[in-house]
Amino acid sequence: MHSPELLKGTLQTILLKVLKDHGKMYGYEITQRVKELSDGRILLTEGALYPSLHKLEADGHLKTETVMMGKRVRKYYSLTTEGKSQVKERVTEFVEFIRTMGNVLQVEISRQ
Amino acid sequence: MTLTSEHIEYIIKDLNYRGIVVEGIQEELIDHICSAVEEEMTKEKRFIDAYRHVLESFGHTAGLRETQKQVIQSENKKPKDMFKNYFTVAIRNLRKHSFYSFINVAGLSIGVAICFIIVLFVINELSYDKHFVYADRIYRIKSDIKFGGNQYKMLYAPPVMANTLATEYPEVEAAIRFRERGSYLVKRSMDNIKEDKVIWTDKDFFKLFSIPVLAGNAETALAEPNSIAISEAIAHKYFPNENALGQTLILDNDMNMKITAVYKTLPANTHFHFDILISLEGLDEAKRPVWYSSNFQTYLLLRPGTDAKQLENKFPELVVKRAMPQLAEVLGADFTIEKFVAAGNKMEFTLQPLSDIHLKSSLQGEFEPNFDIAYIYLFVAVALFILIIACINFMNLSTARSANRAKEVGIRKVMGSFRSHLMRQFLTESILLSLISVVLAVLTAYLLLPLFNQLSDRTLAIPFEQPMLYGIITLAALAVGLLAGIYPSFFLSAFKPVSVLKGNVAMGMKSGFIRSSLVVFQFTVSIFLVIGTLAVNRQLNYIQTKKLGFNKDQVIVIEDTYALGTNRMPFKDEIMRSGKMENATITGFLPVSGTWRSDNPWWVEGRDPGVQENMVSLQNWRVDYDYIKTMGMNIMAGRDFSLDFPSDSSAVIVNEAALKRFNFPGEVIGSKIATFGDGENGEPDRNNLITLTVVGVVENFNFESLKQNVSPLMIELSKKPEGPISFRFQSQNTQEVIQLVEAKWKEMAPGQPFTYYFLDERFGTMYAAETRLGKIFGIFSLLAVLIACLGLFALTSFTAEQRTKEIGIRKVLGASVSSIVVLLSKEFGKLVLIAFVLAAPLAWYGIEWWLKDYTYKTEIGIGLFLMAGIAAFLIAWITMSFQSFKAASSDPVKSLRSE
Repeated sequence: MHSPELLKGTLQTILLKVLKDHGKMYGYEITQRVKELSDGRILLTEGALYPSLHKLEADGHLKTETVMMGKRVRKYYSLTTEGKSQVKERVTEFVEFIRTMGNVLQVEISRQ
Repeated sequence: MTLTSEHIEYIIKDLNYRGIVVEGIQEELIDHICSAVEEEMTKEKRFIDAYRHVLESFGHTAGLRETQKQVIQSENKKPKDMFKNYFTVAIRNLRKHSFYSFINVAGLSIGVAICFIIVLFVINELSYDKHFVYADRIYRIKSDIKFGGNQYKMLYAPPVMANTLATEYPEVEAAIRFRERGSYLVKRSMDNIKEDKVIWTDKDFFKLFSIPVLAGNAETALAEPNSIAISEAIAHKYFPNENALGQTLILDNDMNMKITAVYKTLPANTHFHFDILISLEGLDEAKRPVWYSSNFQTYLLLRPGTDAKQLENKFPELVVKRAMPQLAEVLGADFTIEKFVAAGNKMEFTLQPLSDIHLKSSLQGEFEPNFDIAYIYLFVAVALFILIIACINFMNLSTARSANRAKEVGIRKVMGSFRSHLMRQFLTESILLSLISVVLAVLTAYLLLPLFNQLSDRTLAIPFEQPMLYGIITLAALAVGLLAGIYPSFFLSAFKPVSVLKGNVAMGMKSGFIRSSLVVFQFTVSIFLVIGTLAVNRQLNYIQTKKLGFNKDQVIVIEDTYALGTNRMPFKDEIMRSGKMENATITGFLPVSGTWRSDNPWWVEGRDPGVQENMVSLQNWRVDYDYIKTMGMNIMAGRDFSLDFPSDSSAVIVNEAALKRFNFPGEVIGSKIATFGDGENGEPDRNNLITLTVVGVVENFNFESLKQNVSPLMIELSKKPEGPISFRFQSQNTQEVIQLVEAKWKEMAPGQPFTYYFLDERFGTMYAAETRLGKIFGIFSLLAVLIACLGLFALTSFTAEQRTKEIGIRKVLGASVSSIVVLLSKEFGKLVLIAFVLAAPLAWYGIEWWLKDYTYKTEIGIGLFLMAGIAAFLIAWITMSFQSFKAASSDPVKSLRSE
């Protein structure tokens, strides 16, 4: 499992990319999806997930819709137009970062 | 597997209990936890175990709450919202206390408006002459000449100096001279118009001053005699819609001048405003190679990189080499430089930079009256003080009313406000207030500028088209807001919530040391200004009423009588015949400054003119028989000139000062004085001795500003009277007098402009600067007092408000209205008294400094100080008693019933 310290700066990128690939999702679904994609090596804590989601929403990158499910209310997140344009930028930025880190740390980063 | 609704119910309640209550987050977390629990339960767990497990992953209650807090914070990180909140609260507060807001805004906007106008004024004064391209390389010659007991600090240099410097000194790129010869009558063909701003100058004028030439060649203009250059304004005046270049103007009816250039009219912020330049090539006087006579203002353009000081250091050598030999020739063979210096004489030239002229120069020979840098400092100081007084109002009112806001501060702090939040809140309020004030101030300044322009004789305007202005206004609003708000915000935000909410915070009025000192400061400044104003006005009054040694009232002076030609005497006689006039005299030597002057050295006959101490340099006035009668001067000894004594053509009347300097050995009346007459070329001729006999002594009369002592003067009869005609009239109806003279003028000098002035008016213009200062100071002190009183008014009304109950009880117990008024005003009364004690010595010092320039000054007695003190006290007391009286006379039932 990766340390949450490492995840801190990439959380928003993850959220944006996952939402781009899957359309609208709710909070729990996102954690599950990320877990699945990372073979269980990335576990998003709720304490980090929700502040980030709300921050992205306040910044206008995400929009929400709520669906009543009996006593429960489910809140779906999806990308706004602005959010969509952000995704590519952030992912490229992150890949650049990995490459730089590879140079700094003197390790080969395989490309698949 | 899906949860049952009981389970969901349980989760909702439990989370609520754990403090997850924020709308938008609560539902989301519930759904999340439900989903997670469902997932767990697929692993064959009981609901409660699954729930526990999920909660654990959240970090139990603490983790849940932390998540909730972080979500709130992540949403709240927009400073826009913060400022919006500060702004809303500020607006509400200002509106709620509209009375205090009004006082603050009124005071601040007046203060800022004054500052604004003063800043405009100062910028204008500092911009003088800076527009010339070579401004930093232009210098003018200052002469310091001491001879025969008289000292001349003046701008006149010898005629040859400019050319000598330009040709023999490589540092000097160009040098030009100016020669003033008064006003001229100018015409194109028919009617004459009088032009004041006429000057003779050299052809390098345009090279030095880089004034744009609109038509003609700047290099060749003014090179020939009888050529003139005129300003655009003059071109429009005499040649509307025509090309003026190459045309001819006639000056003083007989000089045909060809226009060789038209230049751009000089901007207002220049130390001269000549409209017509006449070529010096046509003036014989300008070609004389003499060093002992100085009549030409001389300006130099130095080469880039020249050190003016070094050039200046070469001047003494120039004087020894060129001027001294000439002096020796004129003064006699036994003249030596050593003797010249030993007798206390000197001849020194220095350089004055162009940038010093407007603010630091007040010498004989200035083209226009300049301003004094000391007054710039004074104005800036006063403007700042007024602004500070207004800011103090703000501070005092905010801190005094702190009690009302203490609860707000307490509650905000309990709710989690930091001190910095509160400070920001209070600063927003003060900045908002100052922003409103500054906008109002600009409007006020806009409305007041015409008045100020009139007072200061300037043409200032607010540069609305410059974007800089708006930046400065915003900056000023921020600065003033910070200045006024920083202390209250520190003071208010420091309250301890516990004591505030318990209700035992120090009441606003009690923690008053700083506030009291601020009030003292306000009134110290106000009283200082009031005393200053009274002193300036008293000195002005003294000048107007002082016994001058002549009678300045009821005299009309008709100028430009050369236009009458040979009709001068008949004109005078015709008017005298009307019976409306008492006396009339023809001469340009009048006892107000700006009229003719001439001085020469004389000695008592029989003494050796070679001995420098024997020489008395004094004013030589040439007048006619009626001069002393017309001017109302007093003969102390001997007699006036009289037609009964044919020998009076060689008679002289001296004033007391001259009497002292001559120190006649025997009887004064009948003594003789002597001087050398002019030779062929106008220089003193040692073989042509002129002697005059003293027939009378005239009482000293002030013929220059009262800043100067009366200097030695002698009056002799002119062989051919010329110059303006002065009439002393009896009639109180000046209009009638003007009409009478004008009608006669039109008859005898048709087509010539009729110009006149009254002697007392001209006398008044000698003190225009003082009059202006008195008025501006009056306005300043009025405003300072007004703003200070506004603050005092608000403070007392606040105290009265705070003490309503106390007053009610006192009244019930039998206190009279007057005792309560005294009670309420006592505190501030004391402060005004302290302020007076502080202001009086400061003001005394200031007045002494101002009056030191005057030889004749009024007595500033203790009465003036007391008067100002009592006035300030009365004004303050009236301000306070208005509120105190209202509080004291209100019905105690009303104030006591509220609980």
